[in-house]
Amino acid sequence: MKRIGTFLSENGRFRTVAGFAILLLALALSALASSVSAQGASDENVKPIPLLQGSAGFLTNFEGGDAHLTPIVTPVVLVPLGQRWLFETRANFETDMVQVPGLSGFHGKVEKEVDYAQLDFIANRFMTVSAGRFLTPFGIYNERLYPVWIRNLQSDPLILPIGIGPSNASTGAMIRGGFKTHPKFDINYAAYFSALSTTAPVDSDRFAGLRAGIFVPSARLEIGGSFQHLLQEERSNLFGFHVIWQPTPLPLDVRGEYAHSKRGSGYWIEPAYKLSQLPFLQNEMRRTQLVARYQQFFTGELLSDALPSVNTKQFEFGLNYYFMDGLRATSNYGRQFSSAGNLNVWTLGLTYRFVVPLGPAGSIQ
Amino acid sequence: MRRNRILVCCLGVMALLVRSSIGQEHAKSEKSPSAATAVGPSTTSPKATHDSTSPQALRSSASDEKAARIEGERRFRANCGRCHQPPHKFPPRVMAAAIRHMRVRAMLTDEDMRLILKYMTQ
Repeated sequence: MKRIGTFLSENGRFRTVAGFAILLLALALSALASSVSAQGASDENVKPIPLLQGSAGFLTNFEGGDAHLTPIVTPVVLVPLGQRWLFETRANFETDMVQVPGLSGFHGKVEKEVDYAQLDFIANRFMTVSAGRFLTPFGIYNERLYPVWIRNLQSDPLILPIGIGPSNASTGAMIRGGFKTHPKFDINYAAYFSALSTTAPVDSDRFAGLRAGIFVPSARLEIGGSFQHLLQEERSNLFGFHVIWQPTPLPLDVRGEYAHSKRGSGYWIEPAYKLSQLPFLQNEMRRTQLVARYQQFFTGELLSDALPSVNTKQFEFGLNYYFMDGLRATSNYGRQFSSAGNLNVWTLGLTYRFVVPLGPAGSIQ
Repeated sequence: MRRNRILVCCLGVMALLVRSSIGQEHAKSEKSPSAATAVGPSTTSPKATHDSTSPQALRSSASDEKAARIEGERRFRANCGRCHQPPHKFPPRVMAAAIRHMRVRAMLTDEDMRLILKYMTQ
């Protein structure tokens, strides 16, 4: 899996210091959270405890005949504070290991990143205020579908870099929330401002944006749109749309996105079907998922390092098998068509999601 | 050489995590019959039992709890399943932290959060 906006090389030392600082902050907040929950232990509500959760994966990619081994670990630390606060941070440790001519075996460098570190305040039932470094809520993939244990296909959509800024994150503040406006549907929204930062661990663009969506629970359909205004360079507008649909009678997920910017535009659509309705080998079939994705990218007026340099089409087909909750074998084959050359993309891998309580967890009633 | 060591360490950590997960799955499957029997008495809260001991009140309270649980399951499947495979149940204090995270991340409504928390912890 290739990441966008790498934090490599020259600022490694600063990154390490920043990583330790965030870890220390998380641990300090964790201790504070434990004392707060101990003080309020007599309350009727269940007191949340700090959690270490996240995902791990071992993926093997073949792109145009080149093999890449990618071990990846993505821990998330959640520290609830009192009734309304939450500190959350996610780090990413990933290595892209390739064969180097003249050397045996696979070689690569461990990339360490802090994907986000944000403090959330649940102001009321309609609004949560977040500040710090947060995943840019443009479209749905970056913020909701990115972790290896969630994504149905391990390759990134071609349009993923549109609207999310360098390093996939923003540095600033955001308000967001979800609420019911009508018995038949919910509204969700996120409005944010990001400041320009050129310091490698926390680099971000200066922009402001909004994402809003409608979720219809009875139809299990969510549709929404994103808008962003870049407040630097060409000061352009970006927009996009997303849809998630899970038809009630079928074990089918359909997801799709469209994004447009001056640096390119495109779309992807991804149906995923669980074979639980097949009348044979039911124990195996209910754990098996077939996935397909078709996507197209069109170049824009301006060039971007993170986006393809020519118009590109890609079709992928995948098969996932869930051994148990959180542990999954994943595989996919895809073919990319572009004027720069057609190539095959293969992925095989294993993904795992873990949850480790950092305190007394209680027991299910 | 160092890369190989890192790779071996990663694989080792993954093997440990998988093993602990399998252990948890076994523990869950062993506990499930007793957990199922424990659901019955807990459907009426201690407060409700204390306040109203008539059979009708108990029945009404139990049916409210059942309705809340069914609604919680429905919302759990509709909301959590939108992005990822719905997870198994977690202990209450773990779920309380996870649901707060998902309230922010997935923009759950206040009502969804309460019902899903109730369903996931019983």
